[in-house]
Amino acid sequence: MRKKHILLVALIACCSVASFAQARKGLRLNEVMVVNEDNFVDDYGQRSAWIELFNSNFAPLEISSVFITNDPANPTKYPVPLGDVNTRIPKRQHIVFWADGKPSRGTFHMNFVLNPEEPNWIGVYDADGRTLIDSITVPPMPYNSTFARKVDGEGTSALDWEVRSGNEGSIITPSSNNVIRDTNKKVDTFARVDANGFGMTVSAMGIVFLALLLLSTCFYIISRIGAKRSQNKKLAAHGINPAEVRRADKPEGDSGEVIAAIAAALNEHLNAHDLESTILTFQKMRKPYSPWSSHIYTLRQMPRK
Amino acid sequence: MGEFGTFLLENLTQFWQLTGFYNATWQHLVMLAVGLFFIWLAIKKDFEPMLLVPIGFGILIGNVPFNTAAGLEVGIYEEGSVLNILYNGVSAGWYPPLIFLGIGAMTDFTALIANPKLMLVGAAAQFGIFGAYMVALALGFMPDQAGSISIIGGADGPTAIFLSSKLAPNLMGAIAVSAYSYMALVPVIQPPIMRLLTTKNERLIKMKPARAVAQSEKILFPIIGMLLTCFVVPSGLPLLGMLFFGNLLRECGVTNRLAKTASNALTDIVTILLGMTVGASTQASTFLTKETIFIFALGFMAFIIASASGVLFVKLFNLILPANKKLNPLIGNAGVSAVPMSSRISNNLGLEYDPSNYLLMHAMGPNVAGVIGSAVAAGVLLGFLA
Repeated sequence: MRKKHILLVALIACCSVASFAQARKGLRLNEVMVVNEDNFVDDYGQRSAWIELFNSNFAPLEISSVFITNDPANPTKYPVPLGDVNTRIPKRQHIVFWADGKPSRGTFHMNFVLNPEEPNWIGVYDADGRTLIDSITVPPMPYNSTFARKVDGEGTSALDWEVRSGNEGSIITPSSNNVIRDTNKKVDTFARVDANGFGMTVSAMGIVFLALLLLSTCFYIISRIGAKRSQNKKLAAHGINPAEVRRADKPEGDSGEVIAAIAAALNEHLNAHDLESTILTFQKMRKPYSPWSSHIYTLRQMPRK
Repeated sequence: MGEFGTFLLENLTQFWQLTGFYNATWQHLVMLAVGLFFIWLAIKKDFEPMLLVPIGFGILIGNVPFNTAAGLEVGIYEEGSVLNILYNGVSAGWYPPLIFLGIGAMTDFTALIANPKLMLVGAAAQFGIFGAYMVALALGFMPDQAGSISIIGGADGPTAIFLSSKLAPNLMGAIAVSAYSYMALVPVIQPPIMRLLTTKNERLIKMKPARAVAQSEKILFPIIGMLLTCFVVPSGLPLLGMLFFGNLLRECGVTNRLAKTASNALTDIVTILLGMTVGASTQASTFLTKETIFIFALGFMAFIIASASGVLFVKLFNLILPANKKLNPLIGNAGVSAVPMSSRISNNLGLEYDPSNYLLMHAMGPNVAGVIGSAVAAGVLLGFLA
């Protein structure tokens, strides 16, 4: 009993750890500004390099104890402090860290700065200090430009990033979505391409039929297997080998009528009578009662008063 | 009069301005009349009383006029009010899956497992949803609004609320009231359609009693059912997952206490809260609009298409079935998921033409398949449009 409990607790613990790890994997580097001349201002009124992280999960993500670094040889360079409520990123939202080398200014001010002359490698490591969650190498850029994901949180290669100048069509968006969507694209596409709803009807009904057809087929197969197994069990209980029964006693196209006719013919042949007018009829006996046609199932009456 | 008298008068004037009598408009009175009509329908006519009494009274609660500028924090849309907290189950969409848990714990899927081909009848009835979707688009609704409205054709209140809370929250009140109203009117809507689309000979078809279903099959059904349907439509997970989970609690034989709670106490509590808050959300300003009239008209049409397509599909299906395995088309209407009302209609109509032809258990197959089908359809709409 105790073993069983220990096993159960261990299983639950594994599941919790696995789900936690899975959530942390949703953290993404999203936009980086290396030279900040007249862009975003921090809570001290200062301008410095910033790194935006994005929670790509559809659930809040607590990032305290993860590490942010600009040195692959030192993955635990800046640990995000524990105990700050602001390190919980809401679903699909952003958070900005300042690379100003002034960690005494608070949780979001890191202990390193970025080098404007050279490419900057930036990495985010999980709480174990070994598991790399995300990384990017930011190329040297003009001042007030950012290196940003084309779509928030999406893509795995540098090709999914672009340099943004801050001009129209190339906006810089600290603490905000890199792509601004003012309408639901899916709805707009359906409204434009499938204005009469025929495409939706065909595809959706196809999926509904497919789902229920799969279920139906699955249970047809299960019922066949179940029927066969229960028949075999019954035969085995009487000491009969089911395989032999199938070979010897079940000719193809067998029906009760044929066997009854053969038996009647043999009876006639072996017990010769005078010529008599005989009409042989067969009637299958039916079980008169079935719960499927029982009156008790209709006792709930239709509403009337 | 003196200072004290002026003070009293000012206070009484302020109080008068807070009362419902001062703030009432004709729209409020119309909505109160609608609420009273629902309560009358439920108590006097016995139309879905479990739903229409909470909804009707909820409409009364939601339409008591008050001064919203006074900051009383009593209205359902005022953040932090008690009604607003209760309404979270609707707006965030977690009441419907709890109802589905109860439905799963109440439903016996034996009829469906014994005759799996009946699942296709449940699928065919979902044409009601998409027929209404096309008409809603033609009337000028956007695809997400059209999807929310058309789900009324699934004849499944929780599904309608779930989908509309995600796709068109502003239409949810009208959609929910429409869905539940038509579910209550199923005995009035369906029989004429069934008579119109079937011949006398078809109505007399006797279906063979289905085989006995092993307990192991009943246990496998919710597990396989959940995995298969949710693999196809993951967006239906909240509804389908809870439906099949409830059914597993019922069938596994070792969680009777949980199954009883899910099917009785839990369902009752959630039904009370869901009905009341949906009713309260139908406030005059959002309810008495041209859209509401369209929604009711589309809902009615969706019910007709759903019932008709179920019956017609059975007739079509009979063309390929062997003579001894024909289905009675009167069970086709049960493909809409108004459980068990539409099955009882099939049964009563069958008995009307042959007093020994009991169709109830046969109709329960497509009926519960309709529940699954409408949840899958909602999942598809959510996946396509959310």
